Amino acid sequence: MAEIQSNGGGGDGGKKRAKKQSTKVDMTPLVDLAFLLLTFFVLTSTFSQPKVLRMIFPEKLNEEDLKNMKQPEVKDGITILLTRDNRVFWYRGALNEKTTVLEETDFTKNGLRKILVENNLPLLTQLRDFEKEMNKIDEKDTAKRNAVDAKVKKAQFDSKLVVLLKNDEEATYRNVIDVMDEFMICQIAKYFAVDEGMAPLEKKLIAQKLKS
Amino acid sequence: MPKVSMPRSTPSLDMTPMVDLAFLLVTFFMLTSSFRAPEPVFVDPPTSTTEDQIPKQVFLVTVDDKGRVFIDLTNPAVKEMVLKDMMRDFKVGMSAEEIKKFAGAGPIGLKMESIPAYLELEVNERTKVEQPGVPYDTLNIKKSQLYHWAYNARLRSHEDFNARKDEAEKRGLPFDNTTYVQFAVKADGKTKYNVLKHVIQVFREAKVKNFQMITGLEAKPND
Repeated sequence: MAEIQSNGGGGDGGKKRAKKQSTKVDMTPLVDLAFLLLTFFVLTSTFSQPKVLRMIFPEKLNEEDLKNMKQPEVKDGITILLTRDNRVFWYRGALNEKTTVLEETDFTKNGLRKILVENNLPLLTQLRDFEKEMNKIDEKDTAKRNAVDAKVKKAQFDSKLVVLLKNDEEATYRNVIDVMDEFMICQIAKYFAVDEGMAPLEKKLIAQKLKS
Repeated sequence: MPKVSMPRSTPSLDMTPMVDLAFLLVTFFMLTSSFRAPEPVFVDPPTSTTEDQIPKQVFLVTVDDKGRVFIDLTNPAVKEMVLKDMMRDFKVGMSAEEIKKFAGAGPIGLKMESIPAYLELEVNERTKVEQPGVPYDTLNIKKSQLYHWAYNARLRSHEDFNARKDEAEKRGLPFDNTTYVQFAVKADGKTKYNVLKHVIQVFREAKVKNFQMITGLEAKPND
């Protein structure tokens, strides 16, 4: 109880009066209850709704189209290879037994992000300029805003950089999401997750790297 | 040194503001919280920096680290319709009561044939059942149960959305366009990506192309 009864026992006789009852209600149990409920709700509630990363996959192709399709190859591109133990490799340009040099990187700020930003610099500078332009325009001027939006779309469409993402049997979902996230951060306009996985040569190169 | 005189009155503490505060907080948490639905598996999704909210209505595909697939639909009406389609496709009979139960049963990772027995169980016993995951087969996709779930869900969601839209238009009520059932994938970070690829392949066969990958929140890097 919050109050301490210090009214000592019987007085020194005298008249018997009706005891003065305190009108105060003891709030302590109520506080106990309220905090119990509070704890319960704090612990059971899910605070933030999860976020989502949107991914669009192409429609399934039929057998014939699949036969005619060849492995994507890019000249002005980067291929990122995901493999076991969260390791990630990359190479520039088309795959070639003699000239392809595999390099290892990681998921940190100075790893993959640096590579992507450096290669995406033309688009990034363009986008930054558009953003400045956008900030100057009045909020209500939708015509001008749309014009800038169209420019952004065009810049993204014209972007030369193509990034391919390939994985082997051991790569985990976390790694894929991490790479996708990097694509978003670095505003890569064209990236593809390759359905077929790695080419035999890529697997061979990775095996060599992993051994050393 | 003068004598410190002790106050005569009893040391009492007014608890009323504290009660006020506590109940205010209780009210806040009661109103803002949404309870975590009971899940048959625990998955730890990876984190990303996106800030997109999860859609209001989802067909949730949960993939755990062993590659088991669980399905759930947040819209009970559509879920019932999809279950009825599945009963037709796989010739499994269920009572009206069982269908109702299914709508509120949360994620399920069982083949159609074992769903009625599962629904017979008490709610707290269900969590003890080790669910093998909805069967899917990458060689014969169109015969697999997961394919049929995806296919029926896509059709029924579309139907339901249009029906509600028409209804709203007829009555001249505002209609919330964002209530379209979308496909969301919640997978454990340790899941092999190839497993996920196979699952997504099944959905792509059912002409589902657009996925919301559920991720945890991560701070955005500053430039």
